[in-house]
Amino acid sequence: MNQKPNMNPQPTCSVMEGRLPGTCASMVFPYIPMQEYNSERYDSNEALKAGTLFPGLNLPFHAEMKSRFPSEPAALTELMALDFAIDELALYLDTHPNDEEALALFHSYIRLSQQGRSKFEALYGPLDKKYISEDGKYTWINNPWPWEVREVQEGHE
Amino acid sequence: MFVYEKKLQYPIRIKNTNPKLASLIISQYGGPDGELGASLRYLSQRFSMPYAELKGLLTDIGTEELGHLEMIGTIVYQLTRNLTDEQIKTAGFDSYFVDHTTGIYPTSASGSPWNAAGIGVKGDVIADLTENLAAEQKARVTYDNILRLSDDPDVNDAIKFLREREIVHFQRFGEGLRLAKDKMNEKNVYFVNPSFD
Repeated sequence: MNQKPNMNPQPTCSVMEGRLPGTCASMVFPYIPMQEYNSERYDSNEALKAGTLFPGLNLPFHAEMKSRFPSEPAALTELMALDFAIDELALYLDTHPNDEEALALFHSYIRLSQQGRSKFEALYGPLDKKYISEDGKYTWINNPWPWEVREVQEGHE
Repeated sequence: MFVYEKKLQYPIRIKNTNPKLASLIISQYGGPDGELGASLRYLSQRFSMPYAELKGLLTDIGTEELGHLEMIGTIVYQLTRNLTDEQIKTAGFDSYFVDHTTGIYPTSASGSPWNAAGIGVKGDVIADLTENLAAEQKARVTYDNILRLSDDPDVNDAIKFLREREIVHFQRFGEGLRLAKDKMNEKNVYFVNPSFD
């Protein structure tokens, strides 16, 4: 008498009908879990230091980094932190377009970044070619460019 | 259209010149798993992506990679400022210097100029996103290796940031693959090629 092969000892769903990571899912497909909604977040300054807004994705190399920011103008690092949080949230929203809380945070960072941009440009000159300086001069080409080391002026902020 | 913003994504301020280290880090500018290849891979793949989330993801990550290219160029530039005659002769940097002086040229650390053979654009959702998962891991390992070779805290600070971005991008590409799968044939994702079938 032929013995029936044991395909699925206690079937709760048919093979190929489930979703990963369930046992009934079809395989041969790389599986990465979706990040949950409302996952824990750093503030934007911590996020820039960590390289991600989300502690759950912060997986450093060997020993934890202890280094501080180089002494850049505060207006610049504040703006970098806000713009970084915006870029990071945009990637999250690309794959979670219906997370309304993240979207509200995204909008609030955009508003703060717009203010930070004006503050920085008033102190240090244009970030965008379309900037019009108060004295009407063409300041787009003025040094320093981003790859050059900016001398921080004491008491400038 | 791309608009240039006159700031880096992350601050870089390197105090000490180090041509030997520059000759290693240049690999993330123009090496096989570097930022130039990453940006071109994603910005090219997005044209054949069928789903809105994936077009957005590839546009946004590809654009960020251009910012990382600028960061790597900045690190190499700052590591090779004001070199002395002796520093120019540093083993490992001298062979770069003879061809490029202290210009920033897209090459691997081992001397191969940037080559599109190092990137993949297959025009298929699963193949391209799976390529990107591997690419992010390869870039992450290259940054691990740079951290193994470098003891400059100013350099390592920026490299750790870039390394962490590879991990975040890996997560997002994985999520992109999940979103794509939900839109493909439930029983066999290879049953159709949704980009044109």
